[in-house]
Amino acid sequence: MSDVVVSKSLWGRLYNGQTSFDFYGKRRRGFGLSLALIVISIVSLFTRGVNLGIDFEGGVAWQVPASATMNVDAARSVLDDNGVETSSAKIQTLTSGTEEFIRIQVGDEPTEVRTAVQNQLAEEAGVSVDEVSVSSVSSSWGRTITEKAVRALIIFLVLVSMYIAWRFEWRMALAAILAMMHDVLVSVGIYSLTGFEVTPATIVAFLTILGFSLYDTIVVFDKVQDNVKRFSGTRVPVADIVNVSANQVLMRSLNTSIAAILPVLSLLVLGSGVFGAIALREFSLALLVGVTTGAYSSVFIATPLYAIFKEREPKFASLRGSHVTGTALQQMVVTGLPSGNRAVKRVEASSGEAQTADVSASAVLTHPPRPRKKRRR
Amino acid sequence: MSRRLATSLAIFLSVVALALGATFAAGNEPSLGLDLQGGVSVTQEPVGEYNSESLDIAVERIRERVDSLGVAEPEIIRQGDAIVVNLPGVENQDEAIRLVQVTGEVLLRPVLAATPITSNENPSASVPTADPGASSTVAPTDSGAPTDSGAPTSIAAPPISLTLAPPATATPGPSRRPMGTPTTTISAATVAPAPSDSSTSVPTESSTTVAADTSGSTTTVVSAEPTVDPNLAGGDPSDPTATVIARNADGSEIYQLGPAFASGEVFNSDAQADIIQGGWGVRVTLKGGAAGADLWNVGASQCFSGGATCPTRRMAIVLDGVVQSAPTVNQPSFSGGVDITGSFSESEAKDLARVLKSGALPVRLEVQAVQTVSPTLGDDSLQAAIIAGLIGVALVLLFMLFYYRTLALVVVGGLLVSGAIQWSVISLLSKTNGLALSLSGAAGIIVSIGVTVDSYVVFFEKLKDEVRAGRTMRNSAERSFKSAWRTIIAADIVSLIGAFTLWYLTVGSVRGFAFFLGLSTLCDMVVAWFFTRPTMLLIARGRRYGGGRALGVDSSSTGVASPAGGAA
Repeated sequence: MSDVVVSKSLWGRLYNGQTSFDFYGKRRRGFGLSLALIVISIVSLFTRGVNLGIDFEGGVAWQVPASATMNVDAARSVLDDNGVETSSAKIQTLTSGTEEFIRIQVGDEPTEVRTAVQNQLAEEAGVSVDEVSVSSVSSSWGRTITEKAVRALIIFLVLVSMYIAWRFEWRMALAAILAMMHDVLVSVGIYSLTGFEVTPATIVAFLTILGFSLYDTIVVFDKVQDNVKRFSGTRVPVADIVNVSANQVLMRSLNTSIAAILPVLSLLVLGSGVFGAIALREFSLALLVGVTTGAYSSVFIATPLYAIFKEREPKFASLRGSHVTGTALQQMVVTGLPSGNRAVKRVEASSGEAQTADVSASAVLTHPPRPRKKRRR
Repeated sequence: MSRRLATSLAIFLSVVALALGATFAAGNEPSLGLDLQGGVSVTQEPVGEYNSESLDIAVERIRERVDSLGVAEPEIIRQGDAIVVNLPGVENQDEAIRLVQVTGEVLLRPVLAATPITSNENPSASVPTADPGASSTVAPTDSGAPTDSGAPTSIAAPPISLTLAPPATATPGPSRRPMGTPTTTISAATVAPAPSDSSTSVPTESSTTVAADTSGSTTTVVSAEPTVDPNLAGGDPSDPTATVIARNADGSEIYQLGPAFASGEVFNSDAQADIIQGGWGVRVTLKGGAAGADLWNVGASQCFSGGATCPTRRMAIVLDGVVQSAPTVNQPSFSGGVDITGSFSESEAKDLARVLKSGALPVRLEVQAVQTVSPTLGDDSLQAAIIAGLIGVALVLLFMLFYYRTLALVVVGGLLVSGAIQWSVISLLSKTNGLALSLSGAAGIIVSIGVTVDSYVVFFEKLKDEVRAGRTMRNSAERSFKSAWRTIIAADIVSLIGAFTLWYLTVGSVRGFAFFLGLSTLCDMVVAWFFTRPTMLLIARGRRYGGGRALGVDSSSTGVASPAGGAA
């Protein structure tokens, strides 16, 4: 059917941008999977909640090097000695490389108690007072931080939606925001399920996810917009346009994700695993999950969603359900031209120079005539 | 065209190299945030009523205190209304809290004794006693408030100089202005309506003048007043009822001060520097009623009469244990306003006005968060982040090399250029603006590597498409950069919107992250336009890569390539 040689292997097709995955036709699988993930996240959020750190709830946290005399029980008794309520205290052992730490977290306590506990912890652990680190955040400040972050987030979403609606179209804005919320929900769900503590670093990670998800989606939509223009003179269903675009940028999406995931993976495995920086662990884990879902959602969620919205336009409504798959789709992906009777027969060029035969049709369709450059002479 | 590209590339590269060289030459390097260095971070927020003036003053006061303690590279940031003080290297939390807790409360204390610390200002004693004349003549013209009854001012001045302010006679000599301590006079500027003044028939009311001499540098002052032993221990300066020892701002005079009879809250928050009696002075109005004028007048009359509670007849305006000014009180009772005049320079007058303004509505700062980061933890995290980051970058580059072959060298170059720019900018801002690279910032940069690389991926993928469609490398490079640039801009603008919104609206580490996100996004755009574009266009023109083999795309047989052995 086609004169263009299509690689036999999947890798070859990927490498050359010749894949023909029917993202639109298989959209229900993606939606189903995401829906399941979101339901799990929401259920977990309501039943287990998230483990907010003291930065958001307020409270005091001590961290003391663990030793023979300093363990979870010893820490608990120190709290008891100082009249601190231990029932709600979170006491855990953290491992950082070769060292172990005991981390104790309780609600708001006055300065005197903070210092007393710090001193006693140092004494029991046999270290100097300086080695016991204390953090305290008043609950009102915690609330302020949370409120500010939420407000910033809402304003950010509004601004970005406006930008996308202006630069592309409102349907894309809607689809991109929905896909992004999906990513954040799934990431938050993982935090809820695993019970990891949400710290400011986590929020930073979530914001990165959010930004990355949008970024990724926009690159895909840029291609979609290109193709919508390119096919504007033809009767091609949105589904085809979307499928073509998604396949054309598939390798880009994969490459970008790999490029983004590699450093994060290195942070996670080497930074926190081998070198034992605990501060890096949760951060990089959140990022890993987020970047992965971000890449996934831009192709499997945002793009089909956009197609669904776009199909409501009168121009495309009548074409619904007539999208092509298989080799016909592949043909469109490879040539960037509508399939069927309009398909242009491409002449295989024998040299490295530009083909001459296909200039007529494809050149006209693929790019508008270039205005004459004035600067030249 | 080629030459232009080459020139612009050369200029850009030399600018970057210069910036980096200058950074190294100046020895600038990014200062490390608290979480990387260890130390104490204290966040305070004002509670209750306050004005932005008093908050500014509180920040300055904190900075002075921290600086005087010699903490290395302290970071004092105002985030909205919150004041974050990061003290690297400080390990004692209580000490840190004590250090940063300022009230901005202005206390008015009678001066029991004053002694100049430096004695080399004696000549000034000979300054002619021009004061009475000056004050009496100038005050009426000056009390520009519409309701003023200017007349009484003339009454005020002469008695003052006679009765209570022998030292003040030395006041206005312009020759003294350059010297450290201003010679100050307080006089009243009535803002209260004239009719009420006359009806109440308080003679001094409408335009009392307080003449004062803070300098104490005159020999007359020294001899006339009891001296202060600098080694004398005073009470807690923040305790209004204590008798304390204090110095003035430039340390030229030391005072023994009695219990405060009032705080700066007796004034309205309207103090402003103005030209009074031909020189710079401060004019402020008193609040009415028991909490304002009444309280002030109790102190004023005590000082005016020069009894045991206020033998020097001077009243010190004390902020945070430092005497801002100690004018002599020239009349026993005030009603509407108070003028403080003397040999102020413009900036001194403005400073004093600011102090009074903030003292009128002192800010009460409450410690909201205290965080101690142990330095060992910081050290470990830093090393881990650096090593992991470098390995991550190396992996990305390996992947690029595998996928895009020789073209990956452009990516390497781009990342190097981008790294050089970021290093220079962060170093510069560390030095000038006290920006510190925190762990979340560092991680943000590592993550941004992904975004930077993506610009190349977008570009190279488009390039491949074009080459595959049968265009020459040269033609493809131009077309694909154009379309890739559009995509990069669209995507980067979203990042920038995010970075700006977060930076503007949040506090703490999120803010730091937003800053570095914004910086690296801008860097991405700059590098794409000034480095990638000319480099790629020049490469594409060269004979070597004309065929497009460098991309792994063989344009001679459209799309056959199954490059890496074609794993199925």
